[in-house]
Amino acid sequence: MSESKEPGMAFQMTKLHKVMAVLSFIFFVTTVWVFLDDYIRPWKAIQVEAQQIKRRHTEEAIKAAKKEIDSKKLAELQANLGKGKDIVASRKKEISKTEDELKAVLTKIKAQTIKNGTSNGDVSAINFQYETAQKEHNAKEAEKKLAELLKLKAEFSQGKDNLKAYQAEEKIIRAKLADLNKEVTDNEKAIKEITTKLNLLELAKKQTDMSLIFAIRNMPFLDYLDPTIKIQQIVINNVTDDRYFRQVPKVDRCITCHTFIDQPGYEKEKQPFRTHPKLDLMVGMESSHPMKTTGCTSCHGGEGQRVNDFASVAHMPDGEKQEKEWIQKYGWKEPHHVASPMLKLSQTEAGCVKCHSGVELIKGATVLNEGRMAIEKYGCYGCHKMGEWAENRRKPGPSLLKIAGKVDKEWFKSWVWEPRSFNKHSRMPAFFRQSNNSKPEFIRYNMAEVNAIAEYVYDKSKPYVPNEKFHAGNAENGKKIISQVGCLGCHGVDGLEDQSNKVKAYAGPWLTGLGSKVQPDWLVSWLKKPSHYQEDTIMPSMRLSDQEANDIATYLLSMRNKTFEALTFSPLDTKARDELLADYNSTFDTYESAVKKVAKMSDREKTLDLGKRSIGKYGCYSCHNLEGFDGYEGIGPNLTKEGSKPITQFGYGLQHDVAQTRDAWITAHLQRPSRWDEGIDKVFKDLNKMPNFYMSEAEAKKITVAILGQVADVVPMEGIKKHDAGAALYNQGMKVAGKYNCMGCHQIDGLRGDILKMYADDINQGPPRLVNEGHRVQTKWMYHFFGNVQPIRPWLQIRMPSFNLSLEEKNKLIAGFQQGAHQGTFEEPEMEVVWEPGEKEGAAKLWSAYNCVSCHSIGFTKDTPLAPNLHLASGRLRPSWIRKWLTNPQAILPGTVMPSFFGEDGTTPTEPGVFGGDAKKQINALTKYVIELGKNEKK
Amino acid sequence: MLRELVNRLSDPIISFPLATFAFYLMLRYYKIFGTKKFAYWTVGILIPVTTWFLADPNFFSIIKTPDNIPIIILLISVGFFTWFALHKAAINDTRIEEGLGPIEATPENREKVWSWPNLVYVELFAIIACTAFLIVWAIIFKAPLEEPANPTWAPNPAKAPWYFLGLQEMLVYFDPWMAGVVLPGLIVGGLIAIPYIDTNPKGNGYFTFKERAMAITAFLYGWLVLWVYLIIVGVFLRGPNWTFYGPFEFWDFHKVVASFNVNLSEIIWIKMLGIGLPKNLVMREIFGIILSLAYIIIIPPWFAKATKVGRDLLKNVGSIRYYIFMFLILMTMSLPIKMILRWLFSLKYIVALPEWELNL
Repeated sequence: MSESKEPGMAFQMTKLHKVMAVLSFIFFVTTVWVFLDDYIRPWKAIQVEAQQIKRRHTEEAIKAAKKEIDSKKLAELQANLGKGKDIVASRKKEISKTEDELKAVLTKIKAQTIKNGTSNGDVSAINFQYETAQKEHNAKEAEKKLAELLKLKAEFSQGKDNLKAYQAEEKIIRAKLADLNKEVTDNEKAIKEITTKLNLLELAKKQTDMSLIFAIRNMPFLDYLDPTIKIQQIVINNVTDDRYFRQVPKVDRCITCHTFIDQPGYEKEKQPFRTHPKLDLMVGMESSHPMKTTGCTSCHGGEGQRVNDFASVAHMPDGEKQEKEWIQKYGWKEPHHVASPMLKLSQTEAGCVKCHSGVELIKGATVLNEGRMAIEKYGCYGCHKMGEWAENRRKPGPSLLKIAGKVDKEWFKSWVWEPRSFNKHSRMPAFFRQSNNSKPEFIRYNMAEVNAIAEYVYDKSKPYVPNEKFHAGNAENGKKIISQVGCLGCHGVDGLEDQSNKVKAYAGPWLTGLGSKVQPDWLVSWLKKPSHYQEDTIMPSMRLSDQEANDIATYLLSMRNKTFEALTFSPLDTKARDELLADYNSTFDTYESAVKKVAKMSDREKTLDLGKRSIGKYGCYSCHNLEGFDGYEGIGPNLTKEGSKPITQFGYGLQHDVAQTRDAWITAHLQRPSRWDEGIDKVFKDLNKMPNFYMSEAEAKKITVAILGQVADVVPMEGIKKHDAGAALYNQGMKVAGKYNCMGCHQIDGLRGDILKMYADDINQGPPRLVNEGHRVQTKWMYHFFGNVQPIRPWLQIRMPSFNLSLEEKNKLIAGFQQGAHQGTFEEPEMEVVWEPGEKEGAAKLWSAYNCVSCHSIGFTKDTPLAPNLHLASGRLRPSWIRKWLTNPQAILPGTVMPSFFGEDGTTPTEPGVFGGDAKKQINALTKYVIELGKNEKK
Repeated sequence: MLRELVNRLSDPIISFPLATFAFYLMLRYYKIFGTKKFAYWTVGILIPVTTWFLADPNFFSIIKTPDNIPIIILLISVGFFTWFALHKAAINDTRIEEGLGPIEATPENREKVWSWPNLVYVELFAIIACTAFLIVWAIIFKAPLEEPANPTWAPNPAKAPWYFLGLQEMLVYFDPWMAGVVLPGLIVGGLIAIPYIDTNPKGNGYFTFKERAMAITAFLYGWLVLWVYLIIVGVFLRGPNWTFYGPFEFWDFHKVVASFNVNLSEIIWIKMLGIGLPKNLVMREIFGIILSLAYIIIIPPWFAKATKVGRDLLKNVGSIRYYIFMFLILMTMSLPIKMILRWLFSLKYIVALPEWELNL
């Protein structure tokens, strides 16, 4: 509306142009910004840094390689080369002549090759024409073609001959030429041999140059052609990601930033450039999980496809400290919409489970194994299904089928009410007096339930009469026996806390207050023959003498829990009982008619009915053998796929302090399951029934790892660790070994051996470690040994117990041990000794020279034996194992007192006088000698 | 305390009547609403209020998600343009009352200008500015992608794109067939029909409210209260399980709201008459059917006869336009009616014939 406007114009043109200029500039800036935003990616900077690190390492390697080169020799060779060049130069004329000759021959060869090619084609073509004429019965034409064909064939064959002749000529000329150049080429070759490594390294270094080519290849717009800085990925076909509508092969791009994860030598670099810490087991080319076929997220979890930035991958910090550090360093954020973020570092072993699901203990997976041991300790699988590993296990608690013959009802009730008040190490969890059921009305109901449970259990209990009589013995001696014979492999014992805490045994209960618990006769009977009371017990007989058994019993009975003894349990509140029963009966009925129904039952009927219902409610039968519960499933939720359960499906109640992650929930749950009910108004029957195990946070965290591993991921057949027949048998054998807690005492192939911790001073005083046991001992011997234990190592105070093994279990153990050692069952039974001339004398000489009887004294001297009875060797050991053992005992059992007579490599005998110092001959002779000892014995 | 009050007031049961009332006030006193002074006061009050809202972590966590940026832009621009139109209309209406005619009709404003550069050049500016804005927006706020779709595990709340949230909100009160197909179809059809129904030349080329009071009221009620307001509810006040959450309320997954809805047939046959539902479907729903038909068939002729507005309207636009217009208005009003019935009587459906896929 100003005056300077032209007619027909609403705006000033100059003003409009100015606006246009500003807008154009803004538009230009945004366009550039778009391309820069697209171009600048965090992983590119990391790759550039990786390139520099690689350059640094290459430079170091070049330095080392230069040092390696013998400079004197190199100088000499170079001098020789100079001389050689002079010599060759003097033959210049001859060389050029020969080169001309070569050229002429090569020309001829080329010409002949062309000619041959042409006539070859001609032959085929005419041949076809000839055959066509034949087929059409055109005799005249055929004749003509045949003549032509024959001529061509003759020509072709002549041509081939010519070519061969020329080629022979060429060979001769080349040899001559090489001869003329010999002084130069030989020296050059020698120099190259020394410097190859260096040259290769120099080449590698060149690839890390930040040259113009590098800049152009990685320039914006041009970097689609052939960039050096690019996303690197591994496609794994045998492990898939569940994208819900289909299974998609995993694509792991982690190596885009973790550039040297599979290359040794980068262990000290900062992340993400560090080498994988367990290269021999994971990622490495030679390992059992090479990167190319296993990938990264198969084990670690997380979003392998994403490379946007640090947070998008769903890296998960382990603990608050790391979280803070990551937020500051990498701008870490809580993963957004990621169903399964990466496993935290301390929980990584959970990743093993999805492929190695049925394996008893996984070598190398320490935390996971400890988690599974803790699960075994607390018997989680009694109530919860939790994958293949946990299937077909024995019930975690003792059988209650004859409980009336063991403890009295009053004790039973107080125990069930609060096991820890009797035994603070109790593995029986506490169902009652928890934060969610401690209201007076709940306690009233709970006490009625406990009373009813006791009535039911004692009603069903079969009578039991001990088969031994107790007579007081020496308690001190009993305590000593307990600490010596191996009880501590399964039990912790009051008064022996030091040892017990070292071993951390869990297969059997911690022994305390037995004087307040069991009848003396029962205890002696149990100690002497556990299967007399419970047929399927895993408690073995220690072959105790009457005196020993009574001594032990005396000691155990001397422990009393006076406070517990003083407890009396309130008698059954029949009103509470009737209310509970009415409640049960009103599920599908009105409360009123339920009350009527209950009123019709007799008093006893009511009590037993409530007892049975309560046992069913709390799942007592899941851990204890009880009559009337055959075929009942565990009461806990199935945890087989717990590691994939959406976080929204975890019930948090009012516990807002617990982090919204699976692992945090599981750990919190394990430590105090009743917490989810706290502050919530629930009716009695809806209360959380998971009991409290009072486990430590450390234990809960280990169990969490084992449970987190139970994921729903579908692993294709080719991705699953498949057991061959042998490995499957080994696993079965180890399952039996696990059931009877063999590894509470024996370390088997490097795993467990809990009680050995008591023998840290002298490992040879502990139970023998079993390494490739299936190879060591003969099949027959092992079988009979399980049935009838005979002492091998008389100096040991710890005893191999007599287990109540079934035939099937014995066979499984034997097959398992043998398959673990790759030993055929029927291979190498006892050996017949056949002496070679002079061999026996040599063996005898060695026998005394090596002074075998100084330790293996049994049957030879009266000295205290320090090594096994060699008279038993022939029936027990496999000759090939004896040879292996003699060769290098330390390689089999580190720390053994058996000396290495043949040096570290097993080839240098300390007694070189016999058999000319041939270690192999000596070992063979000694083996035969040892076997013959046993044979003579038998005769 | 104050937050608790805001949370309470935001519940659609209260906020919908409030919104309707505010809408009434706005149009009733549009001359005050349309003053610059009012606008400055409003902005002056809104800035601290918004800051107070944003200071709340629960509200901020909803507002900051990239999906919700467009709706914030929508709120600001809808507010501004509504005020701007009424502001212009208020000035013009005052002038018209004084006999001056609208500003747009003054001689200097009737002068014609070249379309180039006055129109085309400026349009180019708008294109460039918009493109630059969209680019910057796209760079700064990344696409709010979620995990791969899982057919067995739907996100909760599952929300439609923000511009459809009004429709999704209607699903609370209507059968999906109505809320998802019939009513949206009528919205589109009705919008297309406007130029044919509304032949009134008044207001062409200039802002006015007084001369077009009914048309503007009808449209703006549908747009502001029944569409924009429902989008606001859908975006900010609906959390997991499509439950209502106040703006300052934590979206607790486990929040439970009591609601048990009953059909009209059940209310009448069982609750009132106490004789149980008849077997015959039509008999069962007869009351609802009668009511619905009466709503559509009886109201328009009655309105034309009984009220002055109706009589004038019928006379001005003719019977076909009148009945189509009334039909559309009645359909529009079915939404607030259904909402009120739901809140007052927990009414599920007026006519419940799931056997025929017909639930009203």
